Amino acid sequence: MSILSVDGVSIAFGGVRALDNVTASFGAGEIVGIIGPNGAGKTTLLNVICGLNRPDSGDIRFADRPIGGMKPNRIAGMGLARTFQRSQLFAGMSVLENMMTGLHLRSRANLFAAALCTGRMREEESELAARAREALDYVGFAGFADRPGNALSFGQRRIVEIARTLISDPKIVLLDEPAVGLSLNRVAELDQLLRRIRDEKGVTLVMIEHVIRLVMGVSDRVVVLNCGQKIAEGRPEEIRKDPAVIEAYLGKLIDAGRAAS
Amino acid sequence: MSLQALAGNRSFLSLLFGALLVLPAFANEYWLFVGNLMLVYIILALGLNILVGFAGQLAFANAAIYGIGAYGTALLQVHQGWSFWAAAPVGAVLAMVIGTLLAFPALRLSGIFLALATLAFAQATQWVLWHWESVTFGAGGFRVPAPNFGWLPVKGDYGVYFLSLAAALVLLLFAWRITRSRIGRAFVAMRDGEIAAQALGIDLLTYKAMAFALSSFYAGIAGALYSGLLGFVSPEGFDLFQMIIQKAMIVVGGLGSVVGSVIGASLLVYLMEILREFKSTQEIVFGCLLVCFMIFQPHGLVVSMKRWLPGWEEPLHLVGRVAADASTRSGSYKGATPTERRAVERA
Repeated sequence: MSILSVDGVSIAFGGVRALDNVTASFGAGEIVGIIGPNGAGKTTLLNVICGLNRPDSGDIRFADRPIGGMKPNRIAGMGLARTFQRSQLFAGMSVLENMMTGLHLRSRANLFAAALCTGRMREEESELAARAREALDYVGFAGFADRPGNALSFGQRRIVEIARTLISDPKIVLLDEPAVGLSLNRVAELDQLLRRIRDEKGVTLVMIEHVIRLVMGVSDRVVVLNCGQKIAEGRPEEIRKDPAVIEAYLGKLIDAGRAAS
Repeated sequence: MSLQALAGNRSFLSLLFGALLVLPAFANEYWLFVGNLMLVYIILALGLNILVGFAGQLAFANAAIYGIGAYGTALLQVHQGWSFWAAAPVGAVLAMVIGTLLAFPALRLSGIFLALATLAFAQATQWVLWHWESVTFGAGGFRVPAPNFGWLPVKGDYGVYFLSLAAALVLLLFAWRITRSRIGRAFVAMRDGEIAAQALGIDLLTYKAMAFALSSFYAGIAGALYSGLLGFVSPEGFDLFQMIIQKAMIVVGGLGSVVGSVIGASLLVYLMEILREFKSTQEIVFGCLLVCFMIFQPHGLVVSMKRWLPGWEEPLHLVGRVAADASTRSGSYKGATPTERRAVERA
């Protein structure tokens, strides 16, 4: 059953058609990889889905409701979370405070409750902290709670960011290049983490990724974009063989990999 | 009692407010006035720090909003014959409403552009105070009747003093608590990354409006108290120099720190009084102080306090946190791959 669907979505920036009539759907509890060369429109697709960019045309439905043109925070409130290509941990907060901010929509204390420090508000705060620690523990970062966000290594930040999206119990998480800049060991850990998230939490994961080994290994389905258009969609092993994909992306990448090694 | 509790920021605040509480018993009229001014500026700095230090909105309208609070309170008394007790809350709310409207330009503008837009608003407010003479009495200002404390066992200046003390205490407590709640976290999230904040479900308009509303409410209360304290208002009290004083207070004390606002405000009011004899030096000294702190101690005195004394940690304030420094120094990118290191440097 599809939880998120994108139907005929197009968007242009000036003369550049970043997305051209893209249609795709994402089922509950699956991992979908999005691949394609740089500038193919992968990040734009995520931006359009999560409400940062408004599509020029086309429909986006999430949890049986149209969300095209809705504000990002409202879409987030419906259970759609995402991470970004560049680390977006809040630098002025500790890791724990970052995680608690991830629970913003799951807490309700208003200005007056906060100012008067009501009993319920205090209770909620300690509940949030407990949930935040639990979520850090889930990704193996329990010992990092009091570190400042910007004192973590690049790879550590990625994992904490994923934990921060998971903490609000989203239905779907969009990951923008979660493995960028990770060492091979870390990529293997990420692979395990993503599978655990799918299997234990039943969260749908949509992942843009250039590390082909990761994306082909972990994805149930792969969507390939090139120049704003979807050129292929299918199971990883089908995608590997698809001549159009090899032409546009994979072939070049394998050649580049050989050249480098 | 542990050393932590003894040397910590709570003891500092208790000591300061304890001193301010007993001040009227010893001080002459002049020092009572200085103490009262300190309280007014503590309120101003607390509000401004919520907006600038926590929510990251580089706005320059606080002096004008302060003026609106003062004029609102004073004019309602003069024109409508209201008592101070009725006029002050209305003046503060008026300041809050006008200040909250500034959240709308802030939704589109950030950094230097927001600074310029709010500066334009401040100058426009000055113009109105100068030229709408039938209502504001123009450049010369006007006298305000003294608040009536008839029903309380205090008189005149002492009444305003204790009222300011109570207001400063309550507003300090509110700022302390609000910045420790999910609202404080939403402010800091907005400051550190608007897009990520939105992706976590934080509505920028709501929280920008809330930050502007809080800071203008604080400024409005301060304005109302100031009009009662001085018994006289004129436009020049709320000009650009006033804005620089307030900015200097939160920079010297520490951006994004509640206790820093109190330190900065009390210290700079004292400095201002020392320099009052040499009127023209005030602006030079304040300007220099602002520049020096920006260069040498951009996070304010509160960072030094954190470094040297236990018990000065605040939530959502990491600069100078001792443990934080250790973990950074030990090299968060030790063990990272060259790609990671490059990525860290890029970020």
